[in-house]
Amino acid sequence: MMRHVLNLGLRLFLVCAVAAAGLGLTYSLVKDRIAQEEAKRRARAAEAVLSSIGAQPRESEELTALLQRDFPDLITVFEGLDEAGQRAGYAFVLKSKGYNFITMAVGVDLEGKVTGIKAVTNEETPGLGSVALDSEQYLAKFQGKGPEPLTLKVDVDAWTGATFTSKGIANGANMALEMWKRLQEGGEV
Amino acid sequence: MEEKEKTLWGELRKGFITTNPLLVLMVGLCSSLAISTRVENCIFMGLAVIFVLTCSNVIISLIRNFIPDQVRIPIYIVVIASFVTIVDLTLKTIPAVYERLGVWIPLIVVNCIILARAEGYASSAKVSHAFMDGLGIGMGYTSVLLIMSVFRELFGTGKIVLFNTTVINLHIKAVPVILIMFPGAFITYALLSALLQWYQARKKPEAEEG
Repeated sequence: MMRHVLNLGLRLFLVCAVAAAGLGLTYSLVKDRIAQEEAKRRARAAEAVLSSIGAQPRESEELTALLQRDFPDLITVFEGLDEAGQRAGYAFVLKSKGYNFITMAVGVDLEGKVTGIKAVTNEETPGLGSVALDSEQYLAKFQGKGPEPLTLKVDVDAWTGATFTSKGIANGANMALEMWKRLQEGGEV
Repeated sequence: MEEKEKTLWGELRKGFITTNPLLVLMVGLCSSLAISTRVENCIFMGLAVIFVLTCSNVIISLIRNFIPDQVRIPIYIVVIASFVTIVDLTLKTIPAVYERLGVWIPLIVVNCIILARAEGYASSAKVSHAFMDGLGIGMGYTSVLLIMSVFRELFGTGKIVLFNTTVINLHIKAVPVILIMFPGAFITYALLSALLQWYQARKKPEAEEG
């Protein structure tokens, strides 16, 4: 009886071990490409949210490290530089809780106004939350809000059928405004 | 040799009509009803299912004598889930595709077609037969998906958009939007299923006469 159970366990283990080795191999082959694609997507989103003030994003490791201590959901910060190379705003790429997790870029100008919002990855429920997060028209409603934290249903309506997603977007925008405030208080603006 | 090739061909062909996974076996319906709103989604989903189904069929057939009966289901699931993860990781390197399809890929694991073929066919078939069965069933699945999605997208939205280019545009204003909503999935599916039943019922007496 004991030998039989051990035999079953051993065979199951062998299959799992081979599968794990195969997956590990695949992952090690593609992980650099995936990281590259994600970095590219973040940069594209940062560019999009800063385009309304005509600034170009430049990733800042220094500011990211500074802010990440207090904002663990922050992924990376881009500085928005205008044509003369002067700082014109920031783009914060951060994670916010919608129905699932939303990774989004929020642009904030020097006056603390939201310049734009764009989703980096959209894992919200297809057909419901994903539609709200993909809608440029809806995201544009957040533009110009701030520097005071905005309230959903007062400053911006919630999207019908996607309350959680709307909350996630609003919370993400507020988090970005808070970070902007922190940078300003620290004399960074 | 010729005899063997003939059966292999038969293994491939049966997936389209006699054991079509969606219309005859009626398995794997949930994801197919959900994604058949767009032709483009169905192309990628079909390819992913063909890949996973063929690979898992071959592997399970290869190790069929090594798998003890009592733990066969966990082993099938490990094999299938591994291939799905490989597809998932690979597609992540092609962001344009992954953005559209990402949410559906993990659903392949729970697509009963694959587990059903592993349990009901590959676990007792020769490797070559299991390979052809996976390919055939996968293509049968994909062809039904394509028919459903062409019908639903064309008449539900009035046009077919593939890779951001409009392929067909009917230029009609009042389209029956219900077709791309959930009831439309059931209506389309029922029509297709009835059509296949009718076709087979009509073929049978003829075969008996011949």
